[in-house]
Amino acid sequence: MPAPVTIFTARRILTMDPARPEATHVAVRESRILAVGGEAEMADLGPATLDRRFADKVILPGFVEGHSHLHEGAAWRDPYLGFFERRDPEGKVWPGLKDIAAVVARLREVAAEKPEGSITAWGFDPIYFGGRRMKRADLDEVSQTRPVVVTHASGHIMNLNSVAMALAGFDRANDLDGLVRDEAGAPTGEILGPELMGRVRRVVVPDMFSRTLDAGALDRFAKLARQAGVTTATDLVSDMSEATVASYRAATEGADFPLRLVPALAARMFGQDEGIARLEELRPTSTEKLHFKLVKLVVDGSIQGFTARLRWPGYHNGAPNGLWYVAPSELGAIVGAWHRAGALLHIHTNGDEASEVAVEMLERALTAHPRPDHRHTLQHCQMPDPALFRRIKALGLCVNLFANHIFYWGEEHVAQTMGLARAQRMDACGTALRLGIPFGIHSDAPVTPLAPLFTAWCAVMRLTAKGRVLGEGERIEVAEALRAITLGAAYTLKLDHLVGSIEAGKLADFAVLDEDPLAIEPMRLKDVTISATVLGGRVFPVPPTA
Amino acid sequence: MSIPVTILGGFLGAGKTTALNALLRQAETRIAVLVNDFGAVNIDAALIAARQSGMVSLSNGCVCCALGPDLGEGIARLVALDPPPQQILVEASGVGDPWRIAQLARLEVGVHLDAVLTLADAQRFPALLADRWLSDTLERQVARADLVLLSHADLATEAEIRATRAALAGLRPGLPVALLPPEGLPPLLGAARVQPGRERAGRFHADAPTAHGFRHLLWTAPGPLDHDRLMRALEALPESVLRLKGFCRLGPKATPHLVQRAGRRVELRPWPEPLPAGADALVLIGTPEMPDAVLGTLRAALHAHPESHPRGGPT
Repeated sequence: MPAPVTIFTARRILTMDPARPEATHVAVRESRILAVGGEAEMADLGPATLDRRFADKVILPGFVEGHSHLHEGAAWRDPYLGFFERRDPEGKVWPGLKDIAAVVARLREVAAEKPEGSITAWGFDPIYFGGRRMKRADLDEVSQTRPVVVTHASGHIMNLNSVAMALAGFDRANDLDGLVRDEAGAPTGEILGPELMGRVRRVVVPDMFSRTLDAGALDRFAKLARQAGVTTATDLVSDMSEATVASYRAATEGADFPLRLVPALAARMFGQDEGIARLEELRPTSTEKLHFKLVKLVVDGSIQGFTARLRWPGYHNGAPNGLWYVAPSELGAIVGAWHRAGALLHIHTNGDEASEVAVEMLERALTAHPRPDHRHTLQHCQMPDPALFRRIKALGLCVNLFANHIFYWGEEHVAQTMGLARAQRMDACGTALRLGIPFGIHSDAPVTPLAPLFTAWCAVMRLTAKGRVLGEGERIEVAEALRAITLGAAYTLKLDHLVGSIEAGKLADFAVLDEDPLAIEPMRLKDVTISATVLGGRVFPVPPTA
Repeated sequence: MSIPVTILGGFLGAGKTTALNALLRQAETRIAVLVNDFGAVNIDAALIAARQSGMVSLSNGCVCCALGPDLGEGIARLVALDPPPQQILVEASGVGDPWRIAQLARLEVGVHLDAVLTLADAQRFPALLADRWLSDTLERQVARADLVLLSHADLATEAEIRATRAALAGLRPGLPVALLPPEGLPPLLGAARVQPGRERAGRFHADAPTAHGFRHLLWTAPGPLDHDRLMRALEALPESVLRLKGFCRLGPKATPHLVQRAGRRVELRPWPEPLPAGADALVLIGTPEMPDAVLGTLRAALHAHPESHPRGGPT
């Protein structure tokens, strides 16, 4: 006797299958899609239960977040201080904090609620404060006896109060790179870069990142994913330690966990041979909900942190070029070794020089050891010009573009990093589409919120936070953006045979929307709410917003 | 007792690992080395006394440790060893700016910065400096180094060495540059090799012939030095003086001090213990061009001794 069949009906089903782009019914058996179509396609399936709960909803393939970090789930243990409102895992929407006074007031509340120990917070974003930066005196108003450490939204900057500055030893370091100074040369409490931030985490707030990926963090991330319609998410920098892998397994083995995970082994945390051996060891233990196949390489830093590697003419404001995280020659050896080992390479390149070097090294690896259908992917890939995109196309590479940057940092890119002309061609979804390069778009959560419909809206509208359209020629249509957050991202993960579209034989992963994204004004795309997700045929309703 | 930390920089292939291997093999003091790529350090199996996670202890008292993402954590781990190392050497990343490592090392408790040494490949440096992807990375590695040492000089022609020296001078006029000698780094390391009184035995006698490509001179101060005059003298030393290290007494109270100079950077720190008689000795290590007149320059630092003007040397 075959397993029972459930048929979901919907106002409209957007399948991402061009041969049958729309449907009204989808039948599910044993966690897979048995059939999709109309009543005719359901008629020969035998006995089935008709589930009409989504009859007035719109069903899409479950969204695939191709660049996120499960650390977002851990971040919410601390208060959020961002300029833009943000929904927490419990569904509560935290209002955006629009000036320094609001940030200080929020931190004072936190300090009152937690009477001792350090005060840490995240998501701070002073870009739209009219040039006013946070000073240590501001944070001294929060506490003059306890360390206060505020991490910026970008993750590349922190603000410290005087206690934290003293504990970190930054007060007695008179020529330290990465300490922002006022006109008189006194440190303002703002610090830049991974080295100084690493020191703060170790010396000042050792409790802050003893925060490994425990069950609570994964659970919080999964709740955020459900709210956002995400059913497959990457954890794009994983230490793949026993503890981390145990957390992945424990979570994904639970039937209540509404998410498939695709962690990427962070190559720099391993020796070359050890890393390859570790991925080899893990790969056969993959399940339908946990996929070990990706390796993550990092070539440069971030554009807004001025640590990305840029080609001529460099940074708009004259800042020196950023840093190689690995030397180009070294990258060639690393890329070659992972490619030969059969891994799927996801390579972080923000600046165009970093992208160019990655393309060069991939070309060498692919020339020496051709491999069909490799799907190697450049992550972020924010700045290539069309010529470099043509090389990307010619080599069969994929890109995952950071569309959210246009909204969150677009104005910063115009004023500081790129200037208007180059900023207009950042995160070039239009070019990728025209050239036929397989592409996804992403949030890099927790850098920006996990919300693929918002990410799609960014790629469609290309509006900055100030409402400027940045790069008309790189805008894409809503349907194309929806494809990028489903099948496009699944393709970069080489999971498009399982997820990313609604087709017979694939896993029954859906995002259930309250409105039809193709029928509304594109400007409202980001406001479409998620009613539920479906993972392997099991329905996970989104709880009502608190 | 504060442990000196020396930072070793230089691009990939400049010979950092080779120099560190040699240092560990031949060490006469307990040196701890923090390395980037643990696997690349090829330590003789016969030398290995113990292995624990990320750390190898050698039978000569040295240890070699993997430099994780957090330098401070690595240094703290070494400082906590029993017995602690006498010297710490940190290998900077091949693409990093070693001075940034130095800045961070200075924040740590129980250590002080000795010097930033950058290795430059005597053959390949000009070509690397001309590489469109690498030029700024190489510039940063020498921009704030105390000394640049030319490696692989035995493989290079005179013309290549001249070209590398010219490229370095073009980046930073007055930058102290020397050939890395066959005996490697030890003569260029700081205070751990200068115990009070130790140099008195004539290990490096002022009249010793030029050895191993470096010239050594020893100056024993006949009395206390004046702080300001000493600073002036140290600053007046020529580029051919690569390093100076030792002890002196300063001021009317003859307070013991540690004196160090690496390239142009001078360090003068009070020494917590009394100096044995005759331990007021400064060792100068320089290129073969280092003149005897530098001893005269130092004599000018003597405290309130009008008759102590140098004889024939520059002031």
